[in-house]
Amino acid sequence: MESELLLSLIVFLPALAALVLMLPLFSNQRPDAIRLLSLAATVAVFLLTVWMALDRPAGSDASTRFQVGEASMQDTFARDWIPSFNIYYFMGVDGISFTLVLLTSFVTMLSMGASWNITKHVKAYCILFLLLETGMLGVFLALDFFLFYVFWEVMLLPMYFLIGVWGGPRREYAAIKFFLFTLVGSVLMLIAILMLYFNSDLGRLSRDQLQASRVPNSVVQQVEQGGTEPIHTFNLLALAQMGQLPDSPFDKELWLGHSLQWWAFILLFIGFAIKVPVVPVHTWLPDAHVEAPTPISMILAGILLKMGGYGIIRICYPICPDAGYDLAYVVAGIGVLSMVYGAFAAMSQKDFKRLVAYSSVSHMGYVILGIGVWTAWAGTDYNSDYWSMGMNGAMFQMIAHGISSAGMFFLVGVIYDRVHHRNLDEFGGLFAKMPVYSGLAFGIFFAGLGLPGLCGFIGEVFVTLSVWTYSQALAVISASVVILTAGYILWTLQRVYLGPEYKGPHEDGIYPITPREIAIAAPLLAFAILFGVYPSAVFRYMTPSINKTVGDLATWTKEVKQPRIEAERSSEMELAQKP
Amino acid sequence: MAPDASLPLLLGLAWLLPLASFALIVLVGPKMGKAGVLAAYVATGAILTSFVLSVIAFGIWHFGHLGYDRKTAETHVVAAAEDAHGSGEHAAGESEHAGADSHAAHGVPTAPPRVFTKDWYTLAQFGALKLSISYYIDSLTVLMFTMVSLIATLIHFYSFGYMHEELHEVVDHEVTLADGHHLHRRGRFYRFFQYLSLFCFSMLGLVIAGNVLMVFVFWELVGICSYFLIGFYIERKSAQNAANKAFIVNRVGDFGMIIGMMALWASLGTFAFGDIDGQQGIFSSVRPSANESQVTVPDGMVKFAATEHVAAGVEATPAQISTWRSEGYGYWLLVIAGVGIFCGCVGKSAQFPLHVWLPDAMEGPTPVSALVHSATMVAAGVYLAGRFYPVFAPEALLVIAYVGAITLLLAATIAITAVDIKRVLAYSTVSQLGYMMLALGVGGWAAGLFHLVTHAFFKSLLFMCSGSVIHAVHTNDMRRMGGLRHKMPWTAYTMLVGVLAIYGAAIPFVVGLSGYYSKDSIIAQALSFWNSNPTHGAFFAAAAIGGAGITAFYMFRLWFMTFAGEPRDHHAYEHAHESPKVMYVPLVILAFFAVTVGFPRLPFSVPKLLEQARYPGEFTAGKLLPDLVYPEEHLSHLPQFHNQAEVVVTFVALGGLVLAIAFYGLRILNPAEVKSQFSAVYRLLWNKWYFDELYDAIFVRPVLLISKLVGNFDRRFIDGFVDGLARWTRAVANFDDVIDRYLVDGSVNVVAAWTYSIADGLRGLQTGKLRQYVMLIVIGTVALTLLIRWSVAAG
Repeated sequence: MESELLLSLIVFLPALAALVLMLPLFSNQRPDAIRLLSLAATVAVFLLTVWMALDRPAGSDASTRFQVGEASMQDTFARDWIPSFNIYYFMGVDGISFTLVLLTSFVTMLSMGASWNITKHVKAYCILFLLLETGMLGVFLALDFFLFYVFWEVMLLPMYFLIGVWGGPRREYAAIKFFLFTLVGSVLMLIAILMLYFNSDLGRLSRDQLQASRVPNSVVQQVEQGGTEPIHTFNLLALAQMGQLPDSPFDKELWLGHSLQWWAFILLFIGFAIKVPVVPVHTWLPDAHVEAPTPISMILAGILLKMGGYGIIRICYPICPDAGYDLAYVVAGIGVLSMVYGAFAAMSQKDFKRLVAYSSVSHMGYVILGIGVWTAWAGTDYNSDYWSMGMNGAMFQMIAHGISSAGMFFLVGVIYDRVHHRNLDEFGGLFAKMPVYSGLAFGIFFAGLGLPGLCGFIGEVFVTLSVWTYSQALAVISASVVILTAGYILWTLQRVYLGPEYKGPHEDGIYPITPREIAIAAPLLAFAILFGVYPSAVFRYMTPSINKTVGDLATWTKEVKQPRIEAERSSEMELAQKP
Repeated sequence: MAPDASLPLLLGLAWLLPLASFALIVLVGPKMGKAGVLAAYVATGAILTSFVLSVIAFGIWHFGHLGYDRKTAETHVVAAAEDAHGSGEHAAGESEHAGADSHAAHGVPTAPPRVFTKDWYTLAQFGALKLSISYYIDSLTVLMFTMVSLIATLIHFYSFGYMHEELHEVVDHEVTLADGHHLHRRGRFYRFFQYLSLFCFSMLGLVIAGNVLMVFVFWELVGICSYFLIGFYIERKSAQNAANKAFIVNRVGDFGMIIGMMALWASLGTFAFGDIDGQQGIFSSVRPSANESQVTVPDGMVKFAATEHVAAGVEATPAQISTWRSEGYGYWLLVIAGVGIFCGCVGKSAQFPLHVWLPDAMEGPTPVSALVHSATMVAAGVYLAGRFYPVFAPEALLVIAYVGAITLLLAATIAITAVDIKRVLAYSTVSQLGYMMLALGVGGWAAGLFHLVTHAFFKSLLFMCSGSVIHAVHTNDMRRMGGLRHKMPWTAYTMLVGVLAIYGAAIPFVVGLSGYYSKDSIIAQALSFWNSNPTHGAFFAAAAIGGAGITAFYMFRLWFMTFAGEPRDHHAYEHAHESPKVMYVPLVILAFFAVTVGFPRLPFSVPKLLEQARYPGEFTAGKLLPDLVYPEEHLSHLPQFHNQAEVVVTFVALGGLVLAIAFYGLRILNPAEVKSQFSAVYRLLWNKWYFDELYDAIFVRPVLLISKLVGNFDRRFIDGFVDGLARWTRAVANFDDVIDRYLVDGSVNVVAAWTYSIADGLRGLQTGKLRQYVMLIVIGTVALTLLIRWSVAAG
């Protein structure tokens, strides 16, 4: 299959299904037909991504399947979209995005399966749900900054409605809060996008760099013909190349003594950090989760949060490395703050879903920390392996958290469907009443606790181990979180599942877990175990690309940043020596 | 098959079989016969096979002479050990001692021990950094495998009998429901064996682990098994709390362990113990053979610590590195690594100050206490400290010694007043683990691990006997027992064997039970350490010797209160009965091992096996504490230490025994009187030195308080700020609305109104009469003309 067709199909198949659903043929009188079609669309997308993940058969190197071991972008294609602003319909996939695409298609499929309980306006729900999937997949696959932004916004609206219409009692508050928070982020991101666009110039790049950035041949020729006018671009790969030039066009001073890329980094980072979310811009998350219906919570925690981490890895760091280097301590510090703060906040919650939401804040803190540990030197040796390990750990943590948090929210939803409350003090004794459910819950919550053999452990431990070379203080604080995590998760399990009898209302409503519910929770647990004992299943796809990103930045640190630091230091010394 | 292929295969299989059993029981457990009775057969079959495989591996090790081909000097060490402990030949004396002396002068093993280590598979690799699942097999591994699988097998059999209640519906008398009835629930026979299998897998994985990360993985897994097993009676609040406490307190230790791991990882870039495929492991980095295997700060640590000396990007030269090393750079990293890893051991082995979880862990079924909380898992901390021994700097060892000595005394004193039979044993376990740590800390590597093995046998025996008693009388309270030896002789006398073993009963200088040999070698080493370190050593020696006396007292107190004298609770006594054969046969087997396992003259005695795994190299003096000197362990076999230890301990322990007989055997003295005389001390001990209350006040409550504060901060401040922002926006919008409505719209409206009213006023003019219009035009024209004229004239 052509790359263009394949990737477009992956992204737009759900939207296509949504279009079909709009036909009057489908009416809310026959909800199952609507649900089945939606499920079929998500399954089809999942199968396409799985097909991509399969190893290519020997001898067929022209395949569009994902090539394991290849670090750079694959399956790229670009089409003119808005030529007057150099905007392209430009997509591609590498190890970083591919694993997240797989996660997205998988979790979306499961949460569609979890949507059977939605009975209100099924048609509208499914249409929005499918549009949401298109938006999410588009974000991960877009390589044109403008396209990326469009998908980012496309994803926002369906989410707003899905929370605002199908949510709990305070749904409107939660939906608006979610919307405004994300919108603030988007606006900041838009400013940064335009700043970068208008200061970019493809003419600064060599032919090799242009080709590595997959710039279309016509543009390459245009660049080579030369001209006085700079050629602006939204190409994320080309922007990264420019950001890492020794005389980057983004280095010019903008405001308050800081460079353009410093400000762009700040704006982009805030935009992505809101999505992650990090403390202190996280408070939309608990509200959104508590009010959102179960499947939407699964998507929110499982995928949407990952876009923040993805954005930082894909956009912030490669395009604005100078700012990234200077602000690395801030980034890592925010990560640690989120880990600790989220864990403490989770411990004090009375609402089951809120607790899981705060655990997400804590767990996503690991991601930010792992990304932030900018170490190009270990001791006196040039060695970026520790940073590479942190970044890999962070990416793994995203996948692991996608699995475990989606599972946790689903399991909370299962019990909520039965007893219609989430008050942690009014559960108990579920182990006796719902043994299979409780078994699954223990498995998935332990994955969240970071128990070895389950996926959470790998991400957490890899991130934590990589920190010491960067900062010992942060390392010690981050290590202490294991105690808090064990505390709140075990306490929760005790209150909900253990004990002799159920203490809350609607005891009659408790019935054992259904096969449909098992079919959703069991695969999540299965993957939690698989990734826990065989992390290479994930690393084999992502590591080459992450190592390349880290390697590029580490080389940049060595060749560009370090001389700069030394020059500054010596000029300071000269200043100091002058009377 | 060559041993480098056969040993990993055998032990690997022995390790994985319980996992297979666990997986099978998880999937089909409830369907395995009535109440899952077949699960027990599956689990027992798996661990029994593991045991057989371990024994084969043991045979390959021993008969293949795998550990015997190190330097010949080493056999002298063993011979010296034997002689020192040995039988009548000892008296033949002088020449032997001279041999030992000359031995002290030169003969320690110089080559590293015989080890098989390799990666099984790679978890992840980033550049040169590799994380893998690997094995490290030396004689210690083989010994531990055999010991663990043997005890585990016996406990599996024992559990057939002990857990049989779980085969049908259970009435839990400790749980009262809201309606006032006791809890009725289905039996969970299979689930017990499911957890046991998972535990065996995890424990064996911990033993075979070839790198620190793998140790940590299985460290956590045994922790979670312990959590499940302590909380087996999930309906009981006390069991749930104990399970949580065990796991969380262990995580506190793990916090330190992670710090130690980070220090190692960041500076060495490897977790492997041994050298694998030419890649240097931790042991050979810290004990390089180039430096006669002395503790040496590895290059990585020196460079890590000396970054300040070079601008980043400038490689350090070997000459610089050795200068920095001699200046002490990186030494603190080595100490942190050692103390950090030891923190994990403190948690797992319930050492002071993290000892509080183990007594509560007795909420689990007794076979669990015997297997997990005495013989194997809690000893894993000692095992790791022993395994990691080459990496400990002298300062780290001193920390270990202090922790061990304090734990030893603390726990022993609490055991004096406890009345719950299992808790006495739990505190005794803590105390004995303290002994082992103390031994390691004063340089007695083999002594500590020797005690680990002997203790595993006699303590699991003691626990299983106590389980048999509890099974019979349905209470843990020793005040309701007494005289039970008539009813359950097998239990009573096997337990007496256990008590004698832990007491260290022996004919001094001739022969004794297992505990005699191991405890004596610890005390001898403590004396030897005292000899070289007068400042620290006195406390350690006093703790070791005093502990022996207290141990004798509380163990015999336990036995007397339970089995001797008159029954204190006749109801319980009458219902008491000897346990079924499946329970007491394992007791007899364990009793046999409790007697014999320490015997040093066997060709494959425990000390000999341990010597084969000893890492070569002397300790240098500490860098931070230069006065700290570690004597070679074999020096403790010198008569000046060894005989002294033997004599002193014999008397001290005898003193404890006599007191116990006086109070509880013959009842010449009345414990109640002592209790009232020393009521303050009694209350302190009864309340376990108030550690639970202290930790509750300084850790648990503050954490909960902080979490409340954080939760409130989130709601009040952050959300308050966000909502406030929203309210402000709305207020501004409202204000805007008012301005819009009244000012902007108002002014527009006013203008409009004026226009309207003027227009309205003017409407009167519009009459539609032509003559009137003409006249108005004329008037207007005339008026205009006049106006212009006038203005021109004026201008």
